[in-house]
Amino acid sequence: MDIASLLSWLEGTGLAARIRESRLLFPLLESVHVIGLALVFGTIAIVDLRLLGVASAQRSFRRMASDILRWTWAAFAVTVVTGSLMFMTNAAVYYGNAYFRAKMVLLVLAGVNVLVFELTAGRTVHRWDRAPSAPPPVARTIAALSLAIWVGVIVTGRIIGFTTTRAAAVEPLPADVDLEELLGFPGDDGQTPATPPEND
Amino acid sequence: MTQFAEWLSRTAPSLFLQEQYAWAIPAIQSIHIVGIAMVMGSVLMIDLRILGWAATDQTLGETTRRFGPWLTGSLWVLLATGILMVIAEPVRELVTFSFWLKMVLVAVGTLVAAAFQIALRRHERHWEDTLVHRPSIKLLAIVTFLVWACIIVLGRLIAYDHVWGGWSPAGTQ
Repeated sequence: MDIASLLSWLEGTGLAARIRESRLLFPLLESVHVIGLALVFGTIAIVDLRLLGVASAQRSFRRMASDILRWTWAAFAVTVVTGSLMFMTNAAVYYGNAYFRAKMVLLVLAGVNVLVFELTAGRTVHRWDRAPSAPPPVARTIAALSLAIWVGVIVTGRIIGFTTTRAAAVEPLPADVDLEELLGFPGDDGQTPATPPEND
Repeated sequence: MTQFAEWLSRTAPSLFLQEQYAWAIPAIQSIHIVGIAMVMGSVLMIDLRILGWAATDQTLGETTRRFGPWLTGSLWVLLATGILMVIAEPVRELVTFSFWLKMVLVAVGTLVAAAFQIALRRHERHWEDTLVHRPSIKLLAIVTFLVWACIIVLGRLIAYDHVWGGWSPAGTQ
C-alpha cells in the first residue's frame, strides 16, 4: 500500500479534522496520553526495580507482576488510542519526523525485550520468584534495558512536540526563538491550523 | 506576577537556560515526566492496596513503606525540575491559570500523602484493622489518584492556557 496516500487519508478523515478544529481536544488528548505514559512507566519501573533487586526484593515476583502488569497494559492501551488520534491530525509530519520514528523503534524494542524475558528468565521464574533467590543476570539485564528504553520513549516523545510544529517541519528552530510568539499564542485560531497549537 | 516573571526572565540563570533552550527544556521536561510517572506508580500501588485490588498479600504498612519513600523522593525531583522550568520560562509558567491551579492541587496531593504516611505510622494497627476497610478511606484513595491525574492535565495545559478563555491571564491580554 502507498504510505503517502494512507497518511493523507488519515489526515482527511472527519475525526482528524474535528480534533484539529477544536481548541480543547488536542490538549486533552495530550494530557490523557501523559497520564497513560506516567502509569506505564511508573508501573514498569516497579517491576524492573524488583528484577534489579533495588526494591521489593522480598516479595514474590509472580504475585507482584500479576498485580501490576494488568494496569500497565490498560495504561498502554490508553496511550495507543490517544497517540493514534494525535497522529491522525498531522500524520505526514509525524511520519516524517525523526524523533517519532525513533520512538516507534524504541516501542518495538520494548516489545522485543518483553518477549526475550518471557522466553528466558520468565520460563524459570519458579526458581527465583522469592527471596533469597535473586533473578538471573539475564532478567536484570532486561530490566535495565527496559528502564533505558522507556526513558528513551519519554525523551523522544517530548522532543516530537518541539519538532512537529509547522515551522519546525520546514526547518529546525534556532535555539532563541520564542515558540509561543512564533505560533501566535494565544487566539489566532481564525483559520484551521495545519498543525494544532502544539508548542511544547 | 507578570513583573516578577519578567524580572526573573532577565536574571543570569534564566538567560543561561534560555540560551540552552533547544536541549535544556526537553531534557528537564523529560526528567519531570519520569518524576511524575514514579509518583503515579507509587500512588497507584498504595491506593490499589487501600482498595484491596492489589498487594493483598502485604499489609497496608508494608506497601506504604515500600512506595512512600519513592513518592517523597520523586516529589523532590519534580520540585527541582519544576523550579528549573519556571526559571527558564517565567512568563510562560507564572502568567497562566493552569500553573496556579496545578500548584493548589500539588499542595493538596502532597499534604494528603504526608498526612496519610504520618497517620499510618502513628496508628498502624487502627489503619490495618479498621480504617483501610472504611468506604470513606477507599473513596479518599480514588480522589487522591484523580488529584494527581488532574495535576498532569494542568501541567500539560500550561502550554495551552488559552483553553481557559477569560480565566487565563493570556486570554485577557
